[in-house]
Amino acid sequence: MDAQAAKPARKARGLRRRHVLVGAGAAAGGLAITKALGLYNLPFPANQTQSPTAAGIDWISPLDKLEAQVAHLLRRATFGATPAEYEQSVKDGFKKTVDRLVETKAAEPPALAGAEEASQEKSIRPQDLIAWWLDWMVRTPTPLAERMTFFWHGHFTSDFRKVNLQSPFIYWQNLTWRRMSLGNFHDMLYQVTIDPGMLRYLDLATSTGRNPNENYSRELMELFTMGVGTFTEDDVRSAAKALSGWREPITQAMKDALMKRALEQGRPGRNITADAVKTGVFEQQRAYVGAVKFLGETRQWDTKSALERVLTQNSVAPFIVTKVLSAFVTDQPADAYVKRLADAFRKSRYDVKSLMRDVFMSPEFLAPANYRALVKSPTELMVNIAKALETPALATAATAAPALARAVGLPGQSMGQQLFDPPEVGGWPSNASWISSNNVLARVNFAQATLTGLAKIPAFNDAHAIHLDGVVSPATAQLLNSSPDDATRWLILLASPEFQLK
Amino acid sequence: MKALGGTNGLSRRDFLRNGLVFGVGAQALASGYAAVPDVFARAVLSAKSAAVQNDKVLVMIQLGGGNDGLQTVIPISSSQYRDFRPQLSAAAAKAQPINKDTGLHENLKGIKSLYDAGKVAIVQGVGYTNPSFSHFDSIRVWETADPARRQQDGWLGSAIAKNYDSAGHPLIGCACGSTNVPGMLRDLEATLTVIDDAKTFGFQGGQNVEDVMGTLYRSTPGIYGALFDTAMSTARDTVAQLRTSSAKYTPKGNYSDKVQLVYSSKNQLAAALQLAAELIVTGTGVKILHVTLGGFDTHYTELNRHDSLMAYLDSAITAFHDDLTAYGMADRVMIATWSEFGRRPKENASGGTDHGTASPIFLIGDGVKGGLYGETPNLEKLDQLGNLSYAVDFRAVYQEILASHLGVDAKEILGQTFDRIPFVKAPS
Repeated sequence: MDAQAAKPARKARGLRRRHVLVGAGAAAGGLAITKALGLYNLPFPANQTQSPTAAGIDWISPLDKLEAQVAHLLRRATFGATPAEYEQSVKDGFKKTVDRLVETKAAEPPALAGAEEASQEKSIRPQDLIAWWLDWMVRTPTPLAERMTFFWHGHFTSDFRKVNLQSPFIYWQNLTWRRMSLGNFHDMLYQVTIDPGMLRYLDLATSTGRNPNENYSRELMELFTMGVGTFTEDDVRSAAKALSGWREPITQAMKDALMKRALEQGRPGRNITADAVKTGVFEQQRAYVGAVKFLGETRQWDTKSALERVLTQNSVAPFIVTKVLSAFVTDQPADAYVKRLADAFRKSRYDVKSLMRDVFMSPEFLAPANYRALVKSPTELMVNIAKALETPALATAATAAPALARAVGLPGQSMGQQLFDPPEVGGWPSNASWISSNNVLARVNFAQATLTGLAKIPAFNDAHAIHLDGVVSPATAQLLNSSPDDATRWLILLASPEFQLK
Repeated sequence: MKALGGTNGLSRRDFLRNGLVFGVGAQALASGYAAVPDVFARAVLSAKSAAVQNDKVLVMIQLGGGNDGLQTVIPISSSQYRDFRPQLSAAAAKAQPINKDTGLHENLKGIKSLYDAGKVAIVQGVGYTNPSFSHFDSIRVWETADPARRQQDGWLGSAIAKNYDSAGHPLIGCACGSTNVPGMLRDLEATLTVIDDAKTFGFQGGQNVEDVMGTLYRSTPGIYGALFDTAMSTARDTVAQLRTSSAKYTPKGNYSDKVQLVYSSKNQLAAALQLAAELIVTGTGVKILHVTLGGFDTHYTELNRHDSLMAYLDSAITAFHDDLTAYGMADRVMIATWSEFGRRPKENASGGTDHGTASPIFLIGDGVKGGLYGETPNLEKLDQLGNLSYAVDFRAVYQEILASHLGVDAKEILGQTFDRIPFVKAPS
């Protein structure tokens, strides 16, 4: 019955009010867990008459309480928190935590050994690249910037299969997206367009004025900025011309490898010089010369002016805002909500940082209807589990965190998400699409395997309060209460439906 | 991105569904699960299926990214073809002719011999009006069988929901080699499962963990509650089914995923088809399967990339057909390929092709009436964007699959009728 998986049981008009009702079982469960663990007051309504089998049963939002607000924020704006990070944020309060997350400049990860020198002779191993990023997701001191890097990775996506790993391109792309993750969307769009990995992934590097390739120009408008149905086929063809003329850069290591191979094969090496830049290289002689009509305006375009033309379109801000909301608030935002944020986004000249602040500070972010309204992606789940299980020993041992990242990295694929390897040019699916028979099984197995692999299981303490806000289903409450030990409690918590949500 | 799984608006049956799941689902789980024995599964199937009394199976193979029809079923005698494609037309000389104007790609050797045996129907020029050049938009049109884009449900999900009532039996529909539900199978009321890799499809903690999860995913509140609960109960049912079927199956086709694709696809097509064969020949009662091979978005250096994809597709399909034949089931199973669009007749400067329109569909099986259907693409009469005009509405192909192969009411699913394309043999 996974058909439903792809299709969320929509919050209907009727459900929107989020019927606050929990059956007698839930209430009893709530009481029991409070008593057994003695920690958190599970909120439940005073008079319940309906049974838990009735339709429309919903979580009781705890978002009127500071602790839950902060935990909700950390689950969405970051990859979840360690107990220490959670404590600190509760102490700081909601607004100060938002400020800290939004205002802190993205911390750079340590270099991935060998990545800059990647070439035909020595390529980057995908598992190293994936572990490198996952490790940084767990450890970064600037988790919103990291979360946004991941967001852009799914939006301006590329995969290591087509880009391939015999160049530093996809590694560079990750560094670039991170540097620009909370910057200006104008600037980012230009960098995206001339990013070497993107030039290869969507073929702009082989597009010339004489024979333009439409791949990038179409996705630029359809997937990156404006959305399907907001432009014509003629616009696609015009943009392909307007954006033509770029080629990939070549590094010294790539050049050396080419020369070496040519020598081995007894060919004269092509006379090429290595480029110093980490972007595409524009060659005027390959560009289109002449005026074309693009999005209603006829002129000679270049890459910058064509991108600026795109960004004058009314569809851009709502399109980006809707996508941001589906990752951070709800995938069913009210039109007025989108419009409000989109207007502000455009007014700020597409400042992503102020957009994200607006998102987190909007009343909708903490509205009961949006509590547990999103499903964690496999990557978020994996990193969140790593952080939840982080012990002081893990946090301080420099080698322990990469080991954990390595341990958690590979199962991503079995849950439907391998970093740097999206299923298609549109990135990954979201929310309800993650729920299938295959994926719930893989998630449970991941939690089980991670716990089994730990040398020492951290104490459970008030994990259900930090990670689940103490709001649990009767089934979860009953199982937590009847668990014989902390290892079992952790498995219940990490594998629970509650923990899959954010 | 546009959520392919996205939906708008909640129908009344969402509520019904919720109610059902919370009620019945919890009970079923509480009473524990036992594998449905093979014979019993069949009995359940026939008892519950008012409309469907046959044992026909459909396997849809998605060629993701937009397969280039002109490089697959090649207009070998067309000078226009060579003019449009100075590089890519090298494929014409090497093609395997099936008549004086048309040849199959040189690497479709197994499919060619099946064609010669009368087991392959090729419907040419399949598309729809006002075609979309967006992967996602056009995929959605094909998945929902609705160019008007009003439908949310997949046409096969809908076929399952309307015709194969199968409570307690998760393997009516199955996406093999996938982690998420493919859009074609999507329907709130359809019973289906998703198996990425049969070898790892089990609870790592064993029966104990499985039992706990059965309890944990029960009456889950919230908008995703019913999804989670059904996904988990389906996972448990599937584990049980696979345990039974894997013990009974030895592949009798030569499946291999050890292929060098120019741009590697993450989809292991041969493994996915082998799993499909296992589910079919062991009598799990599976009716409708979906597998995907990606990598067809050949905007650049298409010649090598497409050659390798054709070879891979051919070897996987051949192995699958051999396997079914050895098990005596090739007459029950129909393979159908689909792709969101074909590609532009004129090649681009990157040695590739951009998004296009009409392309051919392959239907393969012992129950297929082989031959060419539809119309050979007319390269003399391109539309104003330089694309092929379509000759056959893709839903006419769906209609024949539904009505003549699966034996269900096609109009109920497609909402209208189309001229018949009679590629299914009349029952003997």
